[in-house]
Amino acid sequence: MSRSHLRKVGSVLLLLLAWQLLVQWGKLSELFLPAPLSVLATMWEMTRSGQLPWAVLVSLNRVVQGFVYGALAGIVLGLLAGAVGWIEDVLDPWVAAVYPIPKSALFPLFLLWFGLGDQSKIATIAVGVLFLVLVNTVTGVKSINPTLLKAAVDLGASRFQIFLKVILPGALPNIFTGLRLGAGMALILVFITEIEATKAGLGFLLWEAFQLLDTKQVFVGVVTFGLLGVASTWLLQWLERLGCPWIQRSN
Amino acid sequence: MILELRNVGKVWSIERTGERVVALESVSLDVAEGELLILLGPSGCGKSTLLQIIAGLEPLSSGEIRFPAAGAGNGKRTSMVFQDYALFPWRTVLGNVSFGPEVRGVARATRDANAHRLIELVNLKGFEHRYPHELSGGMRQRVALARALANDPKILLFDEPLAALDAQTRRVLQDELLRIWAETGKTFIYVTHSLTEAVLLGSRIVLMSASPGRVKRIIDVPLPRPRHLTGRAEADIVDRLDAELGDEFKRAMAT
Repeated sequence: MSRSHLRKVGSVLLLLLAWQLLVQWGKLSELFLPAPLSVLATMWEMTRSGQLPWAVLVSLNRVVQGFVYGALAGIVLGLLAGAVGWIEDVLDPWVAAVYPIPKSALFPLFLLWFGLGDQSKIATIAVGVLFLVLVNTVTGVKSINPTLLKAAVDLGASRFQIFLKVILPGALPNIFTGLRLGAGMALILVFITEIEATKAGLGFLLWEAFQLLDTKQVFVGVVTFGLLGVASTWLLQWLERLGCPWIQRSN
Repeated sequence: MILELRNVGKVWSIERTGERVVALESVSLDVAEGELLILLGPSGCGKSTLLQIIAGLEPLSSGEIRFPAAGAGNGKRTSMVFQDYALFPWRTVLGNVSFGPEVRGVARATRDANAHRLIELVNLKGFEHRYPHELSGGMRQRVALARALANDPKILLFDEPLAALDAQTRRVLQDELLRIWAETGKTFIYVTHSLTEAVLLGSRIVLMSASPGRVKRIIDVPLPRPRHLTGRAEADIVDRLDAELGDEFKRAMAT
């Protein structure tokens, strides 16, 4: 293990150890900062009882659906807007108007339109992901070296072939940037939409635990959200490596 | 003749100011099949624009362009090799070289076999599955050449293809270009601003002057190959080009 690795692992272990000991010696209250080991024990109990896996499953269902719908719409609209002038003109004012709105502010509207069920939450997540992916996809298309388009024309490619074989792969690195940002946004939005008007999901679990002042369960919720974030980052990195093998990576 | 230009003109209009800039004025030129024609001139003389017009990538504003001998065969009329290579970064060497045949509907086995043959021709055997960023500048330009050849064009157009390379690499690639020109028997039209490159490569040199871009003179280079810059006859032609174009280059620098 390298020196740098040792420092990183050491930092985490030392802090956790200090935290554990401070709670055990009574210097920190379990109500505010439960010890790492008791959080772990609570997590294990909630996993065995099925409470935590079920909450994760309910939330993941909303996140994945919202993410996929939003990402697909964002990629398609972004490619079209980036490549076709009049489509960009038609979309531009709407993007400019809706992009700055915190997408959580749209949730009440979606509750009105789609009801208390999953749809309103999925819609909020989808819209949040859509705009991030859309904006990054447009940037990706615009960043393509115009000589590449010329070369494709010169080699005999039709407009559709240029779209498929030059614009799409050319924008792909930026599309993945959009997807990564979108995944983060999806987790934020699933938490926010699960605070109110629902009876299931990881956000609901966390918020209910807070209202009962069950700090251990709050921590379990926070840690689980963190794990979901890490898992989604890994998954997208893996997909990016698969989808863009030509990109030079430093590590 | 494989290509005839008659009074070709090109006018750019600058949208912001409404200004009209004459890039090319009344360019007439006959290109014989199999020759290596050099378009030589300072920046702003419209030599690259002329190449784009021949390639069909830019419309001409006036005049006429004809390909009298290009009717036969199923290849394209022209194919371009760009200065900055313009390789698709997401395609391997093989994928880049077979792009043209792929979009023109050639069956996979045929186009792959063809690409392998061309990759060998440009001395890149063993690099088929590399991405462009894993190659040196000289190797990238070889890929660009193989890719342009893959469509079996009658005329290959070169837009200052070696300008971005270091002197040694340029020298090696100049020799390779001559070898490939001789082996394929294709017509090359080659844009450069280097007097020595013009003399090393060209069968004929078209001297162009700037603002507006015009053909100033056409010089035959009846020297045998391989040519050497230290050679007496070569040096004489370089001197002559310098005498003809020296003022043009100075004028282009001043504007």
